[in-house]
Amino acid sequence: MSSFLLQTILNGILAGCIYSLFAMGLTLIYGVLNFVNFAHGELIMWGAYFLYFLMEKPLSLPLSFALLPALFLTVLIGLGSDRLIFKPLRKANRLTLLITSLGLSFLLRNGAQLFWGAEIRTYGLEIKKGMRFLGVSITLNQVAIIVVSVLCIFLLYLFFYKSRMGKSMRAISDDLELARVMGIPSDRTIQWTWVIASSLAGLGGILLALDTNLHPGMGLINLVKAFAATLLGGVGNLWGALFGGMIIGLAENISIWILSPGYKDAIAFGIMVVMLLFRSSVVFSSKE
Amino acid sequence: MRKIIYPLIFALLAFPFPYSYAQETYKIGAAFALSGSIAVYGEGFKKAVDLAVEEINASGGIKGRKIEIIYEDNKSTPKDCVTAVRKLITVDKVPVIFGPAASSNFMAAAPVAQENKVVMISAEGAAPGLTKAGEYIFRVFPSDVLQGKGISDLCLQLNYKEVPVMYVNNDWGMGLKNVFVENFKKAGGHVMDEIPYDEGKTDYRTELIRAIKGNPKAVVNLTYIKEGAVMFKQAYEMNIKVQWICGSAAKSPKLVELAGKSVEGIIGTYPVFSQETKEYKAFRAAWKKKYGDEKIPIFAEYNYDMVYLTAKAIEKGGYTSEGIRRALFEVAKGYRGVTGDKTFDQDRGVGSEYGVWTIKDGQIVDYKKKID
Repeated sequence: MSSFLLQTILNGILAGCIYSLFAMGLTLIYGVLNFVNFAHGELIMWGAYFLYFLMEKPLSLPLSFALLPALFLTVLIGLGSDRLIFKPLRKANRLTLLITSLGLSFLLRNGAQLFWGAEIRTYGLEIKKGMRFLGVSITLNQVAIIVVSVLCIFLLYLFFYKSRMGKSMRAISDDLELARVMGIPSDRTIQWTWVIASSLAGLGGILLALDTNLHPGMGLINLVKAFAATLLGGVGNLWGALFGGMIIGLAENISIWILSPGYKDAIAFGIMVVMLLFRSSVVFSSKE
Repeated sequence: MRKIIYPLIFALLAFPFPYSYAQETYKIGAAFALSGSIAVYGEGFKKAVDLAVEEINASGGIKGRKIEIIYEDNKSTPKDCVTAVRKLITVDKVPVIFGPAASSNFMAAAPVAQENKVVMISAEGAAPGLTKAGEYIFRVFPSDVLQGKGISDLCLQLNYKEVPVMYVNNDWGMGLKNVFVENFKKAGGHVMDEIPYDEGKTDYRTELIRAIKGNPKAVVNLTYIKEGAVMFKQAYEMNIKVQWICGSAAKSPKLVELAGKSVEGIIGTYPVFSQETKEYKAFRAAWKKKYGDEKIPIFAEYNYDMVYLTAKAIEKGGYTSEGIRRALFEVAKGYRGVTGDKTFDQDRGVGSEYGVWTIKDGQIVDYKKKID
């Protein structure tokens, strides 16, 4: 029975890592640009599908070669959506941005469906039995999820606290106008924000798809989880997002001790509803 | 102008077209999916129906009169199914219709046939409530209700007396689960846990962990192809070693394609008929002769049987819907078609034997132990 508990905790940590990667990207965009990017989920999905595209015929690249180009393409979508859509709306109010990102999300999701269809796909890698420790099984992919997540968090820490660009980002996140007055190049900083957020989304999407499957709807449900994590950790707060993602991942997985697994998703939604009741300003009104 | 047109119309009405004298046929309507999303099925059904009609007509038709099928495209949507059935009833005035495929499409059009007191038959619908619209609605394809019992029987036969059941959280999954649980309990089995899950997710680990909580030897999983593929893969990675028992909805090469070796050894039930009977062999030979190959499309056999039963009912009960409705019960009683015994039960449905499929070396094959 204890192995049952350990396995649920491990699954919780795995889900938590993925949610955290998504939530950190989401919260970063929010912090710098001050709106909730509903198209973030689609960056997750496109990241996974780009890898699929590169690994399938006619390119048939091996995983190790396809990984970086897939991330690069995801970043291009992120940057492209900023250049073409969000940049002209930089001064628009939040509701406009919210609706715009929602529209973009539909466009990207149905676009993927147009290319790859609505059916579930896999990378076609060989299925391997998990390794066993203390009655808990874990696959290599899952080890990779944990390692990559920890690495990302470490790199992000270095970036935000040691690099000039990271410090600029935090400055803009605090106050865009003031940062401009102080001579921080806001356009370049915003571009870098998109690069980081898209990379995190693409990487998380790829890890998730390696561990599970690809589906055009995979971004949406994970966006909801990431959003709940963001709210839980305090919007715009990077470490809060990390914390929120972990909490939601663990709560969902441990809940099956008492709840029917069919209601697993309700936990994230429940957290979201409660947080919105107290912090509804996040989505609609302007920043305090 | 009017002076010419009115007499002309009158003349046309008063004197029916000459060819209807020359070739009086028994018309049967067929509201098939000839275009739209499931047209790929409709084509196969049409070929099967055409084959049966050709055979019947070649051997003298029904009391010397030939059968003629009036095909009406139902465009694979419920709305157009209703239109097609209505057209067949009001314009062609047929007393009997071969209904649309897909349970939801069939059930949309069934009330129209029932209201107009026209017999409508399904050769593919599996939904338990398919014939609920009324006494004029028949099916020659077994209901999923039987499948639930089939799975329960299979569990007990393999000596799995304690199993958890996982099912897709929709009308189909819940309906099938209820029938299974009811039968399994009645037969002395113990259902350890009931685990519903949502369609279309990419991660079912939590559900899987919950399912194996009490260390069961076997798990009943009423799943579709997509969901099954994800689950079996994850179960394999998690070192879950149980005997998976499924229904017919997961029986597809696509499952193997998606989930690879992780589905090796899973078993499931599906409605079967023997391919060794003389009826089946004759059907296969006739098919090969007419179409030149042995690639018999899915459910073609059921369509073929449906035509023969209908022809027999017309012969016995006369060419009226009431006559056909009554005669269908009589002619079907003990009738051995290509798909086995076609005796109608009180719900105007048929029974079926259930076979067991398994996956061996990436191929779907018959499980060695058969259910009787």
